[in-house]
Amino acid sequence: MIKVENIHKSFGFKRVLCGVNLEVYDSETLVIVGSSGMGKSVLLKTIVGLVKPDTGSVLIEDINITKCSSSDLHLARKRVGYVFQEAALFDSLSIFENVAFGLRTLTSLKEDEIKQRVRRCLEMVCLNNVESLRPSELSGGMKKRVGIARAIAYKPRYILYDEPTAGLDPVMSDIINELIMYLKKHLKVTSIIVTHDMKSAYKIADRIMMLHEGKMIFDGRPEETRQTKNEYVRQFVEGSTRGPIVADKNF
Amino acid sequence: MVLKLLGNENLPEGGRFPSEGIENFFESSESMKRWELFRKSEIKVGLFFEKAKKATGSIVSFLEGLGKAVKMTMEMTVYIFKGGISLKDTALQMVEVGWKSFPIIMVTSFFVGMVLALQMGTATISFFNEPVYLGMIISFCLIKELGPVLTAMVVSGSIGAAITAELGTMKINDQLDALYTLGTNPIRYLVVSRFLACFFMLPLLTVIANIVGIFGGMFIANYLWDVPSNIYFSEVLDFISLLTFLHGFIKSFFFAMVIAIVACHKGFNAKNGAGGVGIATTSSVIYSMVFILISDYFLTMLLTTLNVK
Repeated sequence: MIKVENIHKSFGFKRVLCGVNLEVYDSETLVIVGSSGMGKSVLLKTIVGLVKPDTGSVLIEDINITKCSSSDLHLARKRVGYVFQEAALFDSLSIFENVAFGLRTLTSLKEDEIKQRVRRCLEMVCLNNVESLRPSELSGGMKKRVGIARAIAYKPRYILYDEPTAGLDPVMSDIINELIMYLKKHLKVTSIIVTHDMKSAYKIADRIMMLHEGKMIFDGRPEETRQTKNEYVRQFVEGSTRGPIVADKNF
Repeated sequence: MVLKLLGNENLPEGGRFPSEGIENFFESSESMKRWELFRKSEIKVGLFFEKAKKATGSIVSFLEGLGKAVKMTMEMTVYIFKGGISLKDTALQMVEVGWKSFPIIMVTSFFVGMVLALQMGTATISFFNEPVYLGMIISFCLIKELGPVLTAMVVSGSIGAAITAELGTMKINDQLDALYTLGTNPIRYLVVSRFLACFFMLPLLTVIANIVGIFGGMFIANYLWDVPSNIYFSEVLDFISLLTFLHGFIKSFFFAMVIAIVACHKGFNAKNGAGGVGIATTSSVIYSMVFILISDYFLTMLLTTLNVK
């Protein structure tokens, strides 16, 4: 279980997270939606320990990653995979080395097992014969899929996805959605997904939360999201410019 | 107070007041003059505080950067002494530092030696009517000062800049964060190997630069000033002692530390996209050069006091 308690985070005078609380249960898929710049990525980075909150705590099972020893932090990182918005592949390494990186640092697998695991993970994201290529030789969508393969390679219990389907074509988006559902069904993986893609959210989510101006303003199942009277959620789901979420039109 | 009473927004450009509604205040030219004086003094005070705020901000950010660099150096030192250094990565970086810098070091140090021979030959001819002590003067200048400092400058401009640009790009593209999520500390994975490569390769490059520079000097001494090679080299060897050699050699280790730490620190703290990487790279080279020259003075003072001269 991942538990976030009363997280506050500011960058200079800009308050990004103002008392965020959430709990994600084992094998659950939580989708966090919200307008751009509302702190969704910062929240994910706080959960994985890349951003230190001003106050509050993040519990990954029994480890409070906001104040734990480096060995505990290493243990927590073994349990959590992170899919970056822009893939964040290592430019100087081949695709094989990228996917194998976590297997070498976080597991004690032998080279043969690593080779098999890398191939299997790349197949799961529909990539074949790319092992020897460099990230610069791949398209944006392919890089994204390699990023997902790298995050799932060492079989973490929790995977955090930062906009996993952004920049992918509709068919590939659906393949990624089915991969997330497959990981949940067969490996009991718990997922937190930040996305704007409501079609994907409805398909994969057990629960949808909405973050607005640093606060969680909605928490409900997909069908509750569809029927909610919360004006912010309705405006966001409908993708309308009319409503309480202010969008400046300069044309 | 007057500004509060009247409101800033009513002031047109140039700071003059509209005459409507404030006749009582501006009815005499004396009041007008006093107002102008008050306004000018207020602008000066405002500018002073603005400048003071900027200066304070710069000092704070410099100290903050210094603190981060010290923290990074301490963390790196712990990793080096704890072991677990990747020999493969360190060897690759050593090849990178040595191989990339070698041609440029050869060319620059050869020409530095030639320039020294030209200048010293001209100077000694004007004093003694013949070119004398060229070997001694050139080897003195090169081994003690120009060799270590110029090699450090060249390495800082080539390798230091490349390290900052590479790490800065990794920072901008979230690759450093990705390393953390994959259970790897970027300081251990990226800084240690680069630091060790600079630490061991810069002194080696300095020795090569000294030798090539002395040969450059010999070339001009021989062909332009007709100083026989054996005379030139006997002067060089008469002058060079182990302590003389160590004077420049020890300095190059310190310069290597300055280059590696500044380059890695600037790369790790790059921000604001591609432009930010450019700024970080420029500032890495500038800071390295300034710190090299400042530390050169203090190291020379220290080594001279310790009789390493």
